[in-house]
Amino acid sequence: MTNYIIETKQLTKLFGNQKAVNNVNLHVKKGRIYGLLGRNGAGKTTIMKMILGLTSITSGEVDVFGKNIKGREKQVYPRIGAIIETPGFYPNLTGTENLEIFAKLRGTPAPNAVKNALEVVGLPYKDKKLFSEYSLGMKQRLGIANAILHDPELLILDEPTNGLDPIGIAEVRDFIKNLSVERGKTVLISSHILSEISLLADDIGIIDHGVLLEESSMEELRRKNGNYILLHVSDVSKATLILERQFGLKDYSVHDDHMLRIYDTSLDMASVNKALMLDEVSVISSQLCNDTLEDYFRKITGGDGIA
Amino acid sequence: MMNWFYILAFVLAICLIIIFYLVTKLQRVAEQISIIEDSLGDIKKGNWNRRILVNENDMTKTICYSINDIAINSQTQLIQLKQSEQAYKRLMTSLSHDVKTPLTSLVGYLEAIQKKFVTGEEKEEYIEVALNKAHHLKDFVESLFDWVKLDAKEQVFQLKQSDINELTRDILADWIPTFEENRFDYHIDISDEECLIQLDQNSYMRMVNNLLQNAIAHSKGTKINLKIMEKGEEVIVQISDNGKGISPHDMPHIFDRLYQSDESRSTNGNGLGLAIAKELVHLHKGTIYAENSLSGGTVFMIKLPKAL
Repeated sequence: MTNYIIETKQLTKLFGNQKAVNNVNLHVKKGRIYGLLGRNGAGKTTIMKMILGLTSITSGEVDVFGKNIKGREKQVYPRIGAIIETPGFYPNLTGTENLEIFAKLRGTPAPNAVKNALEVVGLPYKDKKLFSEYSLGMKQRLGIANAILHDPELLILDEPTNGLDPIGIAEVRDFIKNLSVERGKTVLISSHILSEISLLADDIGIIDHGVLLEESSMEELRRKNGNYILLHVSDVSKATLILERQFGLKDYSVHDDHMLRIYDTSLDMASVNKALMLDEVSVISSQLCNDTLEDYFRKITGGDGIA
Repeated sequence: MMNWFYILAFVLAICLIIIFYLVTKLQRVAEQISIIEDSLGDIKKGNWNRRILVNENDMTKTICYSINDIAINSQTQLIQLKQSEQAYKRLMTSLSHDVKTPLTSLVGYLEAIQKKFVTGEEKEEYIEVALNKAHHLKDFVESLFDWVKLDAKEQVFQLKQSDINELTRDILADWIPTFEENRFDYHIDISDEECLIQLDQNSYMRMVNNLLQNAIAHSKGTKINLKIMEKGEEVIVQISDNGKGISPHDMPHIFDRLYQSDESRSTNGNGLGLAIAKELVHLHKGTIYAENSLSGGTVFMIKLPKAL
């Protein structure tokens, strides 16, 4: 059994002659939040639509829950919750009535599913307010409530924070995080805002002009992108002594018998190397790590940047 | 004769309708059972996220709801287990760095002394630095044990009705030499009247000590204020300084275990004091928070309920 909840193989979508999605191999792991990052029109929504069967696949395959989705739609889709673009609700009904209709259509896992879903997103149950009177933020919340109504294993959310104010964004982020951390859901979420994704995602896929440029875990990215000097020396105790006595350095940490991180990046490395050599500590390597995430994405997308 | 025929036809029609109804019902149940079978297979393989969806008037409704309930409960337990496992792992990694760093440098100093690279006055200084580092390490390990005990809920609490005003005055009496040594002015605003509250005295001392220690070590200020206010069923202990404040970048994390701001990493902190204070306050069903005051410096507030 594979550990991927969603896996696409050479997924491609043609609109006319234009390749909207080009040979994308996506890997969404179980219980994690996968952030699909790309600018508007990069192909994020098209990928999600193909996974959900909302648009045809030109070529390639989509595996969901470990098996090809073709012919298994009826078994698979009830296990997914999704928001793609604006969800269709009846304007002249209340939020609760709208959700009750969807609950009847799809079935529910528990008797009080509608109430629970509304509670999670912070909307009142049995409120008199009609959907047409909802603010944009409330509409988005109702959309998310609808996506989690049947307690699905997998959530596919296309820019769920679009149109929300900063507090609303933080709230939505928190409960998506909660769904993953406390209830073990797998989430595929798209966004064009780097800072958003970096706060939320465990894994990240960067897509540009229909091509998946990079897939990586956030942990890996954070490790690569810090602000410190990595010093690899033969004798780390001696090296710390020299750094403390001769350079007055206190801001460092020791990682193993040969590896040091110095957090004061203004340190003159040439004289540090010289001092270490004089005391017979050999410096195997020293490396300045000061890429920020923004720099990193700029590099990957070839100069344009994303956010 | 004709009458009989009509009656027979009518009965037959009703029977057919009933049979048709039962067959569809049966089909629906069969369909449901195959879904249940499928889901149970999946759950058996360890997918506790799987849910069975049913409609309001399905015959299998109660069974499905129960299966879902079992799956949800197991899932919750599993996740809690996993979370504590992860917390433990994180503790081990940070522990290895936080102990290794001072230990490594301690070894560096001792080696220099042993190999006689330094002599006379410099040697004495090296010994003093090494000793300081050893003390710091000892404090750190002690705090860490406290933290682990708290985290594992092994700490024993003795809740007693105590006069928080008097208790705080006693704690402060021991701090005055330290304030003076570090050139801190202090201003204390505690009422002379009794203010009874249920608390574990040792824990309360730890909270106040940790906050005062934090202000002296990191605020870079010159003044500490401590104020106790009674508000209905709550008591608020407020400790503020006139230092540099806490950067907005660090503010959300200051109560996290082993979180240290870039600036405080180089000083004598260990990243546990505030985390321990927070945990202790929570055990008293209180809240703790910090904010930068407009006039500069940081204000820490502990709110404790009078009765638990």
